[in-house]
Amino acid sequence: MSRAETVRRNARWALAQLVDASVAERLVIALAALVASLLLGGAIVLAAGHNPVTVVLFLIYGAIGTPGQVAFTLRKATMLVLAGVAVAIAFRANVFNIGVQGQLVVGGFATAMTILWLAPYLPAGGLAGLVLVACGLVAGVGGGAAYAALPGAMKAYADANEVVTTIMLNFIATGVLFVLVDGPLKDPEAAAPKTLNFPDYAGFPSLLGVSDSFSLVGLAIALAAVVVVYVVMTTTRFGYDLRTTGYQAAASAYSGVDPERTVVSTMVASGMVAGLAGAVYVVMVVGYFQDPGVFPTFGFDGIAVSLLAANNPLGAVPAGLLFGALSSGRQFVDVNLDVPKELIDGIVGLIVLFVATPELFRHLGRRAGLGGGEGPAGEEGEAVADGGEPVAGPADGDESDGEPGPRTADGDEPPDPDGPTRSDGGEPA
Amino acid sequence: MSETTPPAVRLENITKRFGDVVANDGVDFTLERGSVHALVGENGAGKTTLMNVLYGLYEPDGGTVYVDGEPRSFDSPHDAIDAGVGMIHQHFMLVDTMTVAQNVVLGHEPTSRGLVDRGTARERIHELCDAYGFEVDDYLDARVEDVGVGLQQRVEIVKTLYRGADVLVLDEPTAVLTPQEVEGLYRVMDELTAEGHSMVFITHKLEEAMTAADEITVLRDGRAVGTVDADATSQAELAQLMVGRDVLFETERTAHEPGDPVLEVEGLHASDSRDVDRVRGVDFTVREGEVFGIAGVEGNGQSELIEAITGLRPVDEGTVRFGGEEITDASRRRRIEAGIAYVPEDRHERGIVLDYSLVENALLGNQTLSPFASGQLIDWRAAREHAERIVEAYDVQPPNADTHARSFSGGNQQKFIVGREIEHDPELIVAAQPTRGVDVGSIEFIHERLLELRDEDRAVLLVSSKLDEVKELSDRLAVIYEGEFTDVVDPETVTDRELGLLMTGRRPAAVADGEASAGADELERGTRADGGER
Repeated sequence: MSRAETVRRNARWALAQLVDASVAERLVIALAALVASLLLGGAIVLAAGHNPVTVVLFLIYGAIGTPGQVAFTLRKATMLVLAGVAVAIAFRANVFNIGVQGQLVVGGFATAMTILWLAPYLPAGGLAGLVLVACGLVAGVGGGAAYAALPGAMKAYADANEVVTTIMLNFIATGVLFVLVDGPLKDPEAAAPKTLNFPDYAGFPSLLGVSDSFSLVGLAIALAAVVVVYVVMTTTRFGYDLRTTGYQAAASAYSGVDPERTVVSTMVASGMVAGLAGAVYVVMVVGYFQDPGVFPTFGFDGIAVSLLAANNPLGAVPAGLLFGALSSGRQFVDVNLDVPKELIDGIVGLIVLFVATPELFRHLGRRAGLGGGEGPAGEEGEAVADGGEPVAGPADGDESDGEPGPRTADGDEPPDPDGPTRSDGGEPA
Repeated sequence: MSETTPPAVRLENITKRFGDVVANDGVDFTLERGSVHALVGENGAGKTTLMNVLYGLYEPDGGTVYVDGEPRSFDSPHDAIDAGVGMIHQHFMLVDTMTVAQNVVLGHEPTSRGLVDRGTARERIHELCDAYGFEVDDYLDARVEDVGVGLQQRVEIVKTLYRGADVLVLDEPTAVLTPQEVEGLYRVMDELTAEGHSMVFITHKLEEAMTAADEITVLRDGRAVGTVDADATSQAELAQLMVGRDVLFETERTAHEPGDPVLEVEGLHASDSRDVDRVRGVDFTVREGEVFGIAGVEGNGQSELIEAITGLRPVDEGTVRFGGEEITDASRRRRIEAGIAYVPEDRHERGIVLDYSLVENALLGNQTLSPFASGQLIDWRAAREHAERIVEAYDVQPPNADTHARSFSGGNQQKFIVGREIEHDPELIVAAQPTRGVDVGSIEFIHERLLELRDEDRAVLLVSSKLDEVKELSDRLAVIYEGEFTDVVDPETVTDRELGLLMTGRRPAAVADGEASAGADELERGTRADGGER
């Protein structure tokens, strides 16, 4: 029992430290976690009979080794940042939008249809491309918003759990759109289900010239979305109401916020960004609309990005970059080294786990009211109990066993060699 | 320790703090073997905290827990159960989708060769049910979500007994039960005490304490203010103990002629979240320059009444008019904008966002009002100035508007909320328990502010379970009992004894009788028959 007690106290102390960590400290922790996970991953690679140095170097090279690889990383990161922000908006209000994937697909579809329908009416050329892309982006935002408004309204006015409805709507979007791109909207020339290609001029200018499927314009749109969402969250009534609802729904209602409307508008805002992600994907990456079943699962990866970013839109940028780098590094190792894919996936998983865990515990600690000397488990209160309590009953012996705890209150008490026996003495004879 | 059998549980000088808040302040409590000891007090008086200390959920900052005369320190509920102390929480800790039998043995399953031994489990549950006459037996294979609340509670009790509990702590066990189920619970409690079990019965309903308990300890503001024999007390005495009668100071109060009606409530009905009718036809008017007080033991419909008035709860029946205009169905936002300020009783839930700084909290409820917002944009500078003004004028400590609300003591949070609501420049302020958990100096300050508002011809609706507070501040004082006003009295002339009787449901005529004849005391004593009817 005394051992369990020590473990419990150490854990509390560590959590409190994490909660109080500064941004710089957190970055150092994240880097240390990255290094530790690479070391552990290397050991696993070694145990599996491969050269760990090669694998780790290829992983890094694949992420940032050449301009092409950087572009690949940034392309993934662009999508992940957008999807992560979409998730973060909803999570911030305690609305669990698991349907970002579906909203992204619907947004991409709306973008593609708008561009394909409008293109014949405009004279080919750069100006037409600009108009097409602009209209396409707007349509994508609208499509995502509309598809998110549906589960939002169902939650607000019919008490339908958004987790369930958004997951179901993901399937519906994928299924219905597959039927469309495999039937009436199918490119007759193509073998796979896809629409016609967009005109060449309807796309983002590459600017860097290293990749056809990445453009700085796309990255700029993602970063602009981050800034806009951040500004809306912090300086507008809507953002304030949304955050208040997420923190304390009762306080939000007290302040005059209509909880139903907030749920719907939160979902709409989240769906707008998801739709934008879909629009950027079809315009920047593919240039047509394809079988939604083979869309990359940015909407789900965005959940991980958002959680790693603590649902903070600004945090989605580093989180998206990390996930993007891991994704392209993994792919590079897979193509170039004779190492099982599963092994690489496992190592990438380790990295995410290591980087995410401190942040996760930090949130757990804050939820438990640790840190800052606050809450039921606050250190100050206990220190008083240990230090200021003159009566040393048998039970007190339990607390000061031989193991040095990190808490000063424990350290102040002399080590008690009789600890175990005295703890036995505490049981009724 | 004496030679005789030690009490089942003895808590000695228990102190428990949360940050600056003292939830238990040197509490002594003794539970005799084979008896029921009720722990009564207002919400927030420290009842549940005290029992969580006993149950190993909280570590006390001071004091000692004795079980069977042995000093003990529990690190977790698990240790407490091993020592024979079990707790039945207000919200049942059952797995809805598992059967009754599975729930009973959960975590303590008898095993044979590593597998759950269902036969033995059932046998042992049968034995328990036989011993205490529980009808749980017939439902062993029913899923918990399919059985009634009363039975679920019985399952909790059987589960606790199954784990070998000798001492049972029941936290507000009647809150979820129908009157018939309450009767059933009393019978179970009788049988358990007859078998030598001891029980702590946490409640804030006085008649229940008097009916079910042998002894009653009253907690107020974290201190044990008295332990009485259930047979030798009256509800009025308990009510007085609970709400306190120590008038600490006198606030200057000038005569003031009230003006036009501001708030008019007619035939108001409202129900709680479980659809139980809690406000049953209330009529009153609050006029300009008047403090209208509502006194009563907590849980008699006060919360639902003020929430219906402030727009947080739908009105089932009746009308609410504000400044002559009907607002019965108006949104909360419209009422705020019309000039109804509200100090909610539940500050951690509603009044303040704990993860926001005071600057962000200064905006709470003001987010559509000038100068804090123009259109959608928030003017954070105006919010900051507002927060700093409140911090300064209401002496919020520490005086730093950027600090998160969570870090402030309850009293300072409350001062901030009161300040924010008064600075709304309201036509009407609804103040519910405005000084709960607030230190003496701040109480005086808040009282003075409320009276200043009244002197500026604003209307004040004050709800408090502190008798001295409502008596001192109110120009007219209504007493609420089970969702109805028993009387509206002049706070200058009414006696505490009269108020005590009105608060327990005696109508004015009976109160007059009670004053006249000593025999009325007999009526007040709870008897088992009385308890069942309520």
